[in-house]
Amino acid sequence: MIAFTLRRLLLLLPVFFVVSLVVFFIIHLVPGDPIDNLMRAGSTPEQRLQIAAKYGLDRSLVEQYLTWMGRLLTGDLGTSIIQGRPVSTLIAHNMPYSLQLGIAALLFSTLTGIAAGVIAASYQGTRVDDAITGFILLGSTVPSFWLGLLLILVFAVWLGWVPVSGARGWTSLILPVIAAGLGGIALVARVTRIAMIETARQDFVVLLHAKGLPPFLIQLRHVLRHAMVPVVTILGLRIGWVLGGAVTIEYVFARPGLGSLLIRALNQRDYPLVQGCLLMLAMAVIVGALIGDIVQAAMDPRQREARS
Amino acid sequence: MLLTVDMLRIRFGAFSPVDQVTLGVDRGEILGVVGESGSGKSLTATAIMGLLPRIGGQVAGGSIRFDGTDLVDLPESQMRRLRGGRIALITQNPMTSLDPMMRIGPQIDQAARLHLGLGRSAARARSLDLMADLRIPDPASVYDLFPHQLSGGMKQRIVIAMALAGDPELLIADEPTTALDVTVQAQIVQILVDLVRQRGLGLILITHDMGVVAQACDRVAVMYCGRVVELARVDALFEHPRHPYTQALIRCIPRNGMARGTMTAIPGMVPTGMTQPPGCRFNPRCARVESRCRVDIPELLVGPSGNGVACHLAEAA
Repeated sequence: MIAFTLRRLLLLLPVFFVVSLVVFFIIHLVPGDPIDNLMRAGSTPEQRLQIAAKYGLDRSLVEQYLTWMGRLLTGDLGTSIIQGRPVSTLIAHNMPYSLQLGIAALLFSTLTGIAAGVIAASYQGTRVDDAITGFILLGSTVPSFWLGLLLILVFAVWLGWVPVSGARGWTSLILPVIAAGLGGIALVARVTRIAMIETARQDFVVLLHAKGLPPFLIQLRHVLRHAMVPVVTILGLRIGWVLGGAVTIEYVFARPGLGSLLIRALNQRDYPLVQGCLLMLAMAVIVGALIGDIVQAAMDPRQREARS
Repeated sequence: MLLTVDMLRIRFGAFSPVDQVTLGVDRGEILGVVGESGSGKSLTATAIMGLLPRIGGQVAGGSIRFDGTDLVDLPESQMRRLRGGRIALITQNPMTSLDPMMRIGPQIDQAARLHLGLGRSAARARSLDLMADLRIPDPASVYDLFPHQLSGGMKQRIVIAMALAGDPELLIADEPTTALDVTVQAQIVQILVDLVRQRGLGLILITHDMGVVAQACDRVAVMYCGRVVELARVDALFEHPRHPYTQALIRCIPRNGMARGTMTAIPGMVPTGMTQPPGCRFNPRCARVESRCRVDIPELLVGPSGNGVACHLAEAA
């Protein structure tokens, strides 16, 4: 198990390299550059060249990449061209807001999703199941930003129960968490339900019933445990989403966070900041998936042994 | 009789895959239930265990009397007390019958804790004893293993230990040796026979292996297409099979000294699903079919000896 974990961690190095390449070139290949955002009206081409030289933007892309990579290896993400502050400071400043929303949304959607999936599977084919399955369909098709706007309209504007926007106090977290978590609930509920139903068909479950164990105990202690294996994989994929997945939600609720930071940086073609944010988000997704894999392997005794 | 099944009829929606099943088993006795795949053997076992609703079926007629109680109308809460307690099941495939994520020992403990009210350590001691009885080497270390660390034969012994943990009076073994190597098959059958003889259990041994029937069973119910076509003591069955299907089955048993290429098979196929032939279900494959066989369904007539046959031509046989 430890060897398996170490091997997977080592694999992160080439992945990191490829991600850095993609992140760097994608943003540099987009038309427009940060200089446009720094120029005052009426500036001359000479001034333009001056600024380009100041930020090293006049050199070849390969050179720029190597410089960026070289600094990256020493832990330096560079300095924002537009805001003039270190990228790492900007990220550190915005990260807590994203984490707050992401973790709350992840917990909310996971717990609710598993509960909904278990209930649906236990009452398979009944109206309860139909209702939950219908909700799953709705939840996976309704766009979160639209739901966010709807929630704002109803609960903030009409009812006035919670703030319309911002990130002050825990009440301002309620609507964003619901809006961001709905898709997650649907996904987790769907996977849990299907995995439970499939596990329940297996021979060993028949034998558990033949032992006379109460059905709810079989569902919770045995079937759910098996159903959690695919759910953990999905959760792993969603850990990365905790940081960056709520971009549109942050926007709708005018919350600070990595998502808002990234969108603004993208609009301004603030290369170092975009690269820094994207790299963080990409690595969060990759590490999340890795954690999911490791937990999944640790849950199943057969895999635990095969990968020791 | 410990268990008497009388004219049992099983229904899935409008379809009755099992009808007119009559059989019985007493303490210390082994009843073989034989028949081809799809003949309703497993469904009958599922019905006795009261697990039909789980797979969408129900008992539509007849009775299942266990020690004087009719199980058909028994409320689920009381049925659950019998299940795993007084009636236990051994399933066909030991590879898939154990929870792969749970250690062996606790899986055996479950029934004892549930039905005998034993605590953790008492249940563990009982499981270790059972494992030793079933000749599982080094029970204490096997107790802490996971299922995938055991061979098929060992797993089937664990499944048997699991069945015995609730101290049952009736065991239903649904093709317990089908998934195992031939050498292991004989050991498992021997273990089951010993259990019946030593503990006075009633055993319903479902199999399609006539060799196992001859070796182990006291009485036999032959099933075809969801019906019991013949019920007889094992010696009578092999010496004077009365139903043409039984006769054909016995002719199919390979014997020592058989010449190459002389294996016998019953011509035709088992009718599947809802395309049951009218009249006797065996009539399309029967060598001695007469016109009434294609119209009238023969009743299973059980004599005072407990032997019976469902065939229009049985008297002439």
